[in-house]
Amino acid sequence: MKAVEVRNLKKSYGELQAVNAVDFTIEKGEILSLLGPNGAGKSSLISMISGLLTPDDGDVFIMGYSIMEEPVDAKARLGVVPQDIALYPDLSARENLFFWGKMYGLRGAVLSTRVDKALEIIGLKSRQNDRVEKYSGGMKRRLNIGVALLHKPDVLIMDEPTVGIDPHSRRYILDNIKDLNREGMVVLHTTHRMEEAAEMADHIAIMDLGRIIAYGTHRDLIDLVGGQTRIDLILNADSELYMQAWESVDGVFQITADGRTISVLVDDSNQVLPLLFETASRVNVCITAVDIQRPNLETVFLHLTGRILRD
Amino acid sequence: MKIIDIVIKDLTRSFRNAGFIGMAVLAPLMLIWLVYFAFGGLFGRTSSGPMIKVGVVNADTLPPGITRDRSLGDALHDLFFNAGTESWIKSGEYEDEPSVRAALEREDIEIGIIIPQDFTENFLAGKGEPPIQIIGDPEQLATARAVQNLIIGMLEGVVGSQIAIQTFTTHNPENDMQPDTAQIQVLAEGYNSWQVEIQRELFQRADNTALVMVTPHSSKTAGSMMEEILGILMAGQMAFFAFFSGAFSMMSILREEEEGTLGRLFTTPVGRSTILAGKFGAVYLIVLFQGLVLIMIAHYAFDIIWGNPLEVLMVLIGQVAVAAGLGVLLISFVETSRQGGPVLGGVLTVLGMLGGLFTSGFSMPEAFNRLALITPQGWVIKAWKIVMNGQPLHEVVVPVSVLIAIGMVMFVSGAVRFRKRFV
Repeated sequence: MKAVEVRNLKKSYGELQAVNAVDFTIEKGEILSLLGPNGAGKSSLISMISGLLTPDDGDVFIMGYSIMEEPVDAKARLGVVPQDIALYPDLSARENLFFWGKMYGLRGAVLSTRVDKALEIIGLKSRQNDRVEKYSGGMKRRLNIGVALLHKPDVLIMDEPTVGIDPHSRRYILDNIKDLNREGMVVLHTTHRMEEAAEMADHIAIMDLGRIIAYGTHRDLIDLVGGQTRIDLILNADSELYMQAWESVDGVFQITADGRTISVLVDDSNQVLPLLFETASRVNVCITAVDIQRPNLETVFLHLTGRILRD
Repeated sequence: MKIIDIVIKDLTRSFRNAGFIGMAVLAPLMLIWLVYFAFGGLFGRTSSGPMIKVGVVNADTLPPGITRDRSLGDALHDLFFNAGTESWIKSGEYEDEPSVRAALEREDIEIGIIIPQDFTENFLAGKGEPPIQIIGDPEQLATARAVQNLIIGMLEGVVGSQIAIQTFTTHNPENDMQPDTAQIQVLAEGYNSWQVEIQRELFQRADNTALVMVTPHSSKTAGSMMEEILGILMAGQMAFFAFFSGAFSMMSILREEEEGTLGRLFTTPVGRSTILAGKFGAVYLIVLFQGLVLIMIAHYAFDIIWGNPLEVLMVLIGQVAVAAGLGVLLISFVETSRQGGPVLGGVLTVLGMLGGLFTSGFSMPEAFNRLALITPQGWVIKAWKIVMNGQPLHEVVVPVSVLIAIGMVMFVSGAVRFRKRFV
């Protein structure tokens, strides 16, 4: 039995097909990172998997329970950390944890013990009786995660958990995710930061325009671009005006322009680089900087979509 | 059980909201306290109504041959200058009609009473002319009526004693009795004393018998005028703020949607219907709690007598049903909490005005009272008036039944809309 099974999930908002026939699975004990730019459909997909949004078609199975047919059983095994803080600001951390624990069916001494443990894990024991509205952003994020872990879910969904927080808190959160996974928790984690996906995930699904365009391990995805290297040329002029000049250069597989930057995918940077400079000289444009990157997920995304990931 | 958890959570949040507590409890109490304070009371146990300033001209004299020790004019004059009326009438003597009219012009007095010359002789002879004149501001009809009733009450006593004397003298020949003037005088005075005493016994007041009002269908006697006015004003304010509380509490679902906690609730293994039921339950409990608090404080702080406890409870339940139901319905039309402001401020105020919540202490035209009944607020204040009037249980049942029925219809309509939106 898979931990999570997503089958042919679809969702549209009027004319816009936000999620278009998405299929994937997550094995027990895995971390899956869902990577994609803003507007790719990640949040809609996560909302359907967590039972917040009703799909137009398809289904999701959490530990074998259908989110459509058996929502109570499915949701009991899910922990959801929403992207935005979803806590009651006029209640204390302790009161928030108690309330949410009750919503997951915890009571009495079990709930009390779990709340105490959660407060320790998220480092808010000394501030447990203060109202959430008095917390810093990082503290709220930690409590936001703590609420999702109270009932020890089989599957944890984290929607952009590190967006907008300081590096220290970010590190704390990512380390916690790894610890939870080591204890057996399955994690579905969405992000638009490729380095996060590369660091965390056993498998990565790249999403764009409502579809999963690539799925595999980090190595598998890098291999998709066949070891291609990405070269960024920073010009002294608008790159769109000169894009055509480099398209015909031998060894260039893909080219994109963004502001003053021309990005090209090449097989052999040593061979192609001199040709790129010659072209610049011919069209009378100055290259002010060059950046050569080893293949990474951004390269993969560029290869698959013709756009850079940081949209 | 989870419904109760959600109810408790919502109640906790509401009671921690200072703005809500201010509007739900403090605002209506403050408004009533201001009225109470303006008319001389603070938290005292008694309060007095406004004093009526009266000017009296007595031109009457006792004609010879009349078996009375003083003229009717003197008796009427003494009526306005004795301990029985001094708590609400401040009287002054004037020489003649021009001087009392001048006092009215200067607003030194509100009512002028002119007892004409030979009033005793003409009244006892059964002549209607010349009458006692009561002069005052045509807009102060209630004041003039009160003075008029006082005078009529006394004169009716005189007529009654005349009848008693006549009856006695008619049967005298049978009894071989020839009462002399002194005996007739004693008889008349005895009759007057009996009349005053029986009025006191009937209306259970030690003084001011002319001012006691007995409601037509019950044994309840009215308290002081101030307590009566305060009571019905308090009922109006309580009703207005009950509707406010119902809508404000229901807005918590919009606030939770904006906070993200509603979405998070939907990802838990709690059915959406259960979540909605918890939110609705909190609304009803908040409105009930508010009503109970206001009734208790109004009773102990302002001596407001609400009426029969069972009837009070019934009306309170009706008020809760309709205020919470309207809150659920109104907010079901609102998309965001920002939109909720105009709903609370605008719609409820207009309905409150149409329903007569702000004019509950005044006697309004019948057409207005009928118009008020197109609003749920109108039925609430109607029910409170019945209870505070001391009318019997069966007369309370109708408006309370209407309130519960309206409340249920509104609740179901609102709940269906919420289900479509969230479930």
